[in-house]
Amino acid sequence: MKNNLSVKIILWIAGLILLTGLPHVIGIYYTNMVVAFAIFSVFALSLNMLLGFTGLLSFGHAMFFGMGGYGTALALTHIPGLAVIPAVGIGAATAVLLALILSPLVVRVSGTAFAMLHLAFGQLLFVVALKLYKITGGEDGIGNFPMPGLFTESLSTSPVHFYYLAMIILGLCVWLMWFVTKTPFGQIQVGIRDNARRIDYLGYQVPQTKAVVYVLSAFFAGIAGSLYGLSHNLVSAEGSLGLWMSFYPIIATMIGGVGSFFGPILGVAVFQGIDELILRYTESTELVMGVILILVVMFLPAGLMGFISSLMLRLKSRSCKNQS
Amino acid sequence: MKRSSVGFLSVFLAFVVGSVVLFNSPAVFAAKPEKNVKAIKPVASFDVKKMADMSDFDPSNPITPSGDTIKIAVVAAFSGPSAYNGQIYYAMVQWVAHDINKRGGILVDGKKKLIEVIKADHQSKVDQCKKVTERMALQEKVHFFWGTDGSHFMKIINDTARKYKIIAINATCMSDDLQNATNFSPYAFHATFSTEMVARGMAYYYGQIRKKEKKFYILNQDYAFGRQFAEDFKKGLQEYHPQAQLVGEDFHKLFLTDYAPYLTKIQASGAEVIFTGDWLPDAGNLLKQARQMGIMLPFANVYVDEPNYLNETGVEGTKGLTNISAYYDSTPFFKTKEHIQMYTTWKQQQAKWKELPYSSIAFQHFTANAAAWVMTTYWAMSVLERAGSTDPDKIIKVWENDSFEYINGKVVKMRSCDHKAIMDLGVTEYVPPEQQKVSMNIEPFYWFKNASYTGPVYKVPAEKVLPWMDQNLDRCKGKNGWGE
Repeated sequence: MKNNLSVKIILWIAGLILLTGLPHVIGIYYTNMVVAFAIFSVFALSLNMLLGFTGLLSFGHAMFFGMGGYGTALALTHIPGLAVIPAVGIGAATAVLLALILSPLVVRVSGTAFAMLHLAFGQLLFVVALKLYKITGGEDGIGNFPMPGLFTESLSTSPVHFYYLAMIILGLCVWLMWFVTKTPFGQIQVGIRDNARRIDYLGYQVPQTKAVVYVLSAFFAGIAGSLYGLSHNLVSAEGSLGLWMSFYPIIATMIGGVGSFFGPILGVAVFQGIDELILRYTESTELVMGVILILVVMFLPAGLMGFISSLMLRLKSRSCKNQS
Repeated sequence: MKRSSVGFLSVFLAFVVGSVVLFNSPAVFAAKPEKNVKAIKPVASFDVKKMADMSDFDPSNPITPSGDTIKIAVVAAFSGPSAYNGQIYYAMVQWVAHDINKRGGILVDGKKKLIEVIKADHQSKVDQCKKVTERMALQEKVHFFWGTDGSHFMKIINDTARKYKIIAINATCMSDDLQNATNFSPYAFHATFSTEMVARGMAYYYGQIRKKEKKFYILNQDYAFGRQFAEDFKKGLQEYHPQAQLVGEDFHKLFLTDYAPYLTKIQASGAEVIFTGDWLPDAGNLLKQARQMGIMLPFANVYVDEPNYLNETGVEGTKGLTNISAYYDSTPFFKTKEHIQMYTTWKQQQAKWKELPYSSIAFQHFTANAAAWVMTTYWAMSVLERAGSTDPDKIIKVWENDSFEYINGKVVKMRSCDHKAIMDLGVTEYVPPEQQKVSMNIEPFYWFKNASYTGPVYKVPAEKVLPWMDQNLDRCKGKNGWGE
């Protein structure tokens, strides 16, 4: 038992040292890639809170991601001297506010109605962002907004500082989301996914629980969107609220494995890796990702994590057989 | 016959003969040259005599050097609805690279280096643009960015260029905002015409040269450039055409597929001219749909000049289109042997290209915006050659205040304080093939058989359309429109 704990501690310390030293080893370009990976991982995990753990498929999750980005960008543009952490907080709060407005309506529906309703809201927000160009910058988006520094240097000129900031915030988000799944509340969430009526009969408030999950999911998506805007120093309708941004976490989650906590992270890693690789040879990344998705849906319905789990099980059972 | 009758007959005959001679001359269609117009003197020029043998150039199969090269990233859409733009830009930059490479390259940093052109696909997505420019800067280590289709993408390119100290050549985007006090970067050069000068140039043409139409309808793409272009046209009308009336104004989403709601409104407005800054594919689709709906109003435009769309629309549908260009100078088009040589070299070579889009009629003639993009690239490479170094600071020093003469005699100057190009503009009215000899003064005396195209070209002098200067930009404070 003690041995196990010390191995865990050593692994954690090794991981932290690796993450701290990473930018100096891999250079700026790959550091930026790692940041993008972390951002999209949190975004996909926030969607998985709805899809994988509560059984709610949303075709408009980008609206929270976009609200996070726009909230932060507008705050930094209009509040002189605003520090970066409050700016991220404002982004997340904007996403939460939107979720609070929508939740009384959306928690009463599920399945196709939930998905389509979000598609409609997502598109509505996308068009609003285009039309309110004096506030949102329309197609151009909001760019070149002031980027405060973490210590002294502006984040826009210090990708390494930004990397540390993003890693700390996103690491905290991942841990919080993981922690939620381990609480009794997380168990109710899974119960709603599996049989909402039974949970209702057991005396739990299903709509209220769904609302809390919904707001939490929006909060994490907002943080991811806020950091995404900061990483690009640009927030735009197409880049943050577009349809592709809503489908990205769904596809990543499906490739990685719906219902598995770490599945979406694996999905994003595959997505980003292939994207990076393919772009060197062809412009048709979506085509390749589409083919991969078809293959995963057809042959690995539980996603890559499901495949890995079944492999592990087989190996374990084989070793058990050998021992017996 | 009475003596007075003989006298009258002589005068009449002289008048008839004089008229025939005069009206057969293309010069009559040219705008009268402005008196006391400030001319820009070129510091450097494109010399066609030094151009390499281009007989092996094919943009579909470019010869790409590797190793220690001068790298130019053409940042544009190479996929998605705007992919055609990327293909055009790539061919134009490749032409210049091929020519210079065959001459042995450019002497920089004590060594002759070849030019390597790299495609950087922004996919018409802002985040992808950021990503791809970062990759070009950090992984490919390019020396130049060359762009692009959409000022919102050019802004990102300029930002990345500033961050990593790379020269950004803006060869195609018009937005004035790109070089204002907020966005100005010493590494970014706006080497083509800009929004306000083009909008005012068009207003100048309608108010001071053509003096006919008075009712205008603005239809632009709904983003910063479209909005700014509309505002600048209104400003230009007030300045040069105060009798003009704006009967409507609309903005549509980029890459729309149905313009009918806007066109119906235009039809009902009683407009005489549709003013649009739309670029491809919107520019072509808008024209085609308007004609299909029976709306034959002329478009006062910048980019409704793509030959494939024009030929699909036909002679009648394209007649009267009014195009403003960074390349046009005046009529007749070909005034020197050198210009004819450049034009025929291109045309003969293009006939050999077998793959689309380069084999299409869009690439048949070396003219209009495409020719301006080639010349802009030659200008940038001339600056690099004179700087003798890939050090961006040395390039900046040479390019500021530099002036360059295009093959057609047009001279372009780089205003030093805000890095914006100053140039005369040319406005042309598209005419049917039989009238195209006004501009096309060499065989076969027409540009296209199945489309109206460049007719008389009217020069709008640079001093009437000096590019907008942001006085809040410290470097420009107290300077006049010439940057002096």
